[in-house]
Order: sequence, then C-alpha cells, then structure tokens
Amino acid sequence: MSANRWLATGNFFTTYQEEQRTFITNLDRLIFSIFLLILFTWPIFFPLNRTYMLVINNILVAVIAVLGLNLVTGFAGLISIGHAAFMGIGAYTVASCSRVLGDSHILITHFWPILILAGGAAGAITGAIVGLPSLRLKHLYLAIATLSFQMIFEWAIKFLTFFNQGQTISVGRVMWFTGEIGREKHYVFWYYVTIILIVVLGFGIRNLFKTRYGRALVAVRDNDRAADAMGMHPGFTKVYAFALSGFLAGVAGAVHAFLYKGAGIESFTLHHSITYLAMAIVGGLGTLNGSFWGPAAIQMLNLQVEKFSEYAGNYLPSAMNLATALRPFTFGLVIVLFLMFEPRGIANWWRITKSYTKTWPFRY
Amino acid sequence: MSYFFQIVVSGIVVGSIYALAALGLVLIYKSSRVANFAHGQIIASGAFITYALTVWATIPIYISFFISLIITFFLAWSVERIFLRRLIGEPIISVIMVTIGLASIIDGLIYLTPFGTKNFSFPQFLPSEPIAIAGVSISWTQLVGVIITTLLIGSFSWFFKKSTVGISMRAVSDDQFASMSVGISVPSVFGLAWATAGLSAAAAGGIIGNITGLNFDTLHAFGIVVFPVVILGGLDSILGAVVAGIIMGLIQQFAGGYLDGNWGLNGTGEVLPYIILLIILLIKPHGLFGIHEIERV
Repeated sequence: MSANRWLATGNFFTTYQEEQRTFITNLDRLIFSIFLLILFTWPIFFPLNRTYMLVINNILVAVIAVLGLNLVTGFAGLISIGHAAFMGIGAYTVASCSRVLGDSHILITHFWPILILAGGAAGAITGAIVGLPSLRLKHLYLAIATLSFQMIFEWAIKFLTFFNQGQTISVGRVMWFTGEIGREKHYVFWYYVTIILIVVLGFGIRNLFKTRYGRALVAVRDNDRAADAMGMHPGFTKVYAFALSGFLAGVAGAVHAFLYKGAGIESFTLHHSITYLAMAIVGGLGTLNGSFWGPAAIQMLNLQVEKFSEYAGNYLPSAMNLATALRPFTFGLVIVLFLMFEPRGIANWWRITKSYTKTWPFRY
Repeated sequence: MSYFFQIVVSGIVVGSIYALAALGLVLIYKSSRVANFAHGQIIASGAFITYALTVWATIPIYISFFISLIITFFLAWSVERIFLRRLIGEPIISVIMVTIGLASIIDGLIYLTPFGTKNFSFPQFLPSEPIAIAGVSISWTQLVGVIITTLLIGSFSWFFKKSTVGISMRAVSDDQFASMSVGISVPSVFGLAWATAGLSAAAAGGIIGNITGLNFDTLHAFGIVVFPVVILGGLDSILGAVVAGIIMGLIQQFAGGYLDGNWGLNGTGEVLPYIILLIILLIKPHGLFGIHEIERV
C-alpha cells in the first residue's frame, strides 16, 4: 500500500489482503459513500412523477436480472437465452401465492420480503434443474437448451388455468411500518427496496469473487480441463452458476411482480431474454459495473426511440407505426455495433475514463 | 383409419418444410460453426420478396420465385460479408448475439413495410380442388411444395457430393487449416455457405407463404422451431435435417391430432419439439446423424 491512503497512482500491494480490497483508496470509499447517499436521498428532494419513477424502477429491476445473467454468461461463460423465464419463475411464485391466498393476504402485505426471497429460491432451484444439461454440454448446445426452457415455460404459463393462461394475476399492495403503501408512494417505495437489494446483492457478488467458489466460476470459463485438474468439479460449478443466476433472476422477478402489482406472461417472453442478454453485452460481459450500464443504456435508448418516433410520426401517414419498426431496428443495431466495435462494452469506457482521471495530467 | 393417414400426409408436408428450413441452418453451421438465429427473418424476407414480385410487380410466380431465390442469395451473402466476416475467431457468444441482433434489425426493416403488420396471401395459381385418394386429401399447393422441397434437397445433396465448390465447402467444415493449405479460400466459402442458406431459406419462405399465407409472426417463428429439428438430426448433417424435419412434422401433427382436446391438453404441438430437444440434449447431444464432437466435462 502506498503511504498516501487517499490517492494512489499505481498498484503498490504488498499483501494479498490489500489486493482483495473492494476500495483501493479512501477516496474511492468516500466517493462511493457519497454516491450511495445521493441514491438514497434524491427522491426526497426531487420528487419525480410516476412515469419517470417507473422508468427508473424498470432499470433497477433489470439491473438485478442482468447481475444474475452476468454471473452465468459473463463470469461462468455459459450462454443463457432463458433468463426472462427464470425471472418469470420468481414473479409467478409471488403471483401463485396471491392466487392461492388472495391478493391481500398477510403473507403478501406484511411478509413480502420473505416472498421475494422465496421467489429467489424458486428461481435458484429451477436454475439448477435447467443447468443440469451443462454437466454434458457447452456453448451453443447449452444456449439452445436454455432457449427450449424458455419456450416450455411460456407454453406452460399460457396453458395452465392456474396461471390464468398468461393473463395478469394481481398482487396486492404491501404494508410498511407507516401503513399501507398507497398509489403515490408505490414507485418510490419500490425504488428504495430495489436499491437496497442491488447494494446487498452487488456487494455479495463482489465478495463472491474473493472466495474459491467465485474464482472457480472464472476458472471453469477460462479452461475447464485445467480447472478439473486443480480439483474443481466443472459440471457442478456450472450447475451452481445457473442456480446463483436463477436466484438473482427470481428476486428480480418477484420485485417486478410487486412493482407492477401483478404478473403476466408478456413480461417474460423470449424477447425479454434477448433484451437482458443485450443489456449484459452492451454493459460489458464479465464486469460488475457493466450490469449497471447495460440496462440503463438500453432502457434510455428505448425511451429516446419512443420519443423520436412520436415526433416523427406527425410527419408520416398515420397508418405507419414507426415505433414498432424503429424499436427492434435500433436495438439490433446497437447490439451489432457494440459487438463489432466495442465487444467489452460500456464498462470498458468507464475503465478508460477512470484510469485517465487517475493519472491526469499524465498519460499513464 | 383415413384420419391416421391424413395426419401422416400433413405431417410429411409440414416435415418437408421443416427440412428445407433446417437445411439453411445446417449449411451455415456445417461450414462456419455459427448458429444463425436470424434464419426465420431470412425465410420471412424470402417469402415477402416473392410476394412483392408476384403481386406488385406482376411477374408470373414461376419466375418471381427464382428471382427471389437469387435476391436472397445475394442478401445473405452480403450479410455475411458485412457483419460476420469481422467476427471470425471471436467467442461464440459474440457470434450468436450478432445473429440475434441481425434478426432484430431485419425485424425492424420488415415492420417498416406493410408486411410487418398486415396479412397477405398469394394469388391462387394451382387448382383449388384438393387431390383425394381413399379419403386422404392433399392440396395442390402442398403437393407442389413437397415436390419442390424434394428437388431442392436432392440438388443440394448432389451439389455437396459432386461439385467442386460443394466439396470445398465440406473440406472447410472438416478442417479449416488443411483446406487453406490446398488453396481453398475459407472466408469466401463462409460467404457462399450463407448465400446458399439464404437461397434455401427463400425457397422455404416461398413455399410456406403459399401454404399458410403471409403472416410475419408465423414466418419468423420458423427460425426458432428449426432448432429442435437440427438438434435432433445433428447440427451438421443434411440427411439428419431431412429425417429430423419429417420426424418433427409427424410428431407435431400427431400431437395436434391425438393429444389436443383429450385430457384437457391444448397446443401440445408447439411445446413437444422443445421437450424432445431437451431430452435429446441430455442423452444424445450430437443428434441422429451428427458428428460425435461433444465434450464431456
């Protein structure tokens, strides 16, 4: 460690413990604390209207989901085209509780944190089961296996009358110490819940990669034979990567169900799975902060496309729906351009900016 | 009993379309080890180009079908040249995601045209009276579709067995370095594989469009449903694609004919291919005729 605990221009680690620290300098820690403080306090000073609050909540739920996807695809190197289905498992855990017990049962109104965890657990179990083919399969075959899980999930939800055949199953409002969360406070309340979840889960993942279990994931991704020779079980490591990612997806799905006060199949289709994959890639696969950039970028892009097509729609014949055409077009274009020109994603730009400011005014 | 044979006949019709649609996927995978998730969109654009030429440009359908094959041939070739040539040697997730992105781009382009939202159907150019033999009927469109499919698959097999270009494509799929050393240009073979895949996709699109009508959702759904077919047949086997296509068509039609409506089941034809796919992946991932190259970890 350099003598100056506030600023460091290079790596001067003398012990492994120092290298493993989450915050290298005190300045990092200070900046992060201020950032967290701002995250928790801005809704008090700048109350947004419900539309924008919902956009922010959508981004944050997607962040939880993409964190899970990044675990399995970025860190463990297993392609999953069924992430929305895992989210759906979490959401439908909550929804089926609401269907069996009624949508304002005490379990939903008072013990909703338990339900969120239950959604995560259901996601984890399904993840482990779907991950079983990864004991034998790699790459493309695994991608197709998860794709088929997505299709089977969609069919099952649309088929079973218990799940209302894909129509929305409503979930009631929840209680807090101050009483029921009403309509005005709903999105702000879930903003705080999601932020807390993200902070806890983000630190959890950050710390996971300091343990042997986290490093095993990366080792199996980079070379499974070498990992096998070093005493890890590649098959079980992959299954457990799927279970972890399923847990995060389940949590995200459960929060999604509470946020929208219901669960319907239209939020968990193949298209959503692809969107989460695109978010992970645009953000940067195998990086933690990429899981935050990706969802924000894709959601913002969607919003801008929506605005633009609304504006341009005034000058076009009304029969033409520009938004339906432009949304997939820009979405695909962004994926392709990122993969062709910046395969490491926005996280790479962040890294460059950080190292530039760190060494400024010097080049390196 | 005629109900049974009717189902067999329609199973073979659907299956041969699956075979033709799966052929394009196999061609690309065989030479460049890329799974093309935009295949359904290429099928759809082939069908729409045929329709536009036939109805809007009033070209006879026999000619417009071939023109659309040629157009899609060059379209798919340019897709490979522009997007996928840069990604040779990149990790598989990048390649898969690029094809998914391409699918999305083509989706957007098709939604700009009337085809994205409206339904069209080809003008009737064959007798509308179905052929009926002993209570089993098949429409002329279906019969012609099956014949064209058989001819196309036959000519593709001949192309791979006998022609120099076909043999060089097989060589590249077998060993890229060895084929480079005997003077085969590997990138141009990749381009050609995409182009022929586009051609077969356009043929499939034209035939499906004639049988079921032009609906974008139905047409691009074929791009996903061919995956169970190619996995069952083996990702790199043309024979496998044909056999598995027909098996899958029969399974779907039998499920629709015998399972649906009984025991409260419904729409089983849509989900059974994926269940079979999962089972195949668990017990025999290389499929019926694929090369045994799966690594066990």
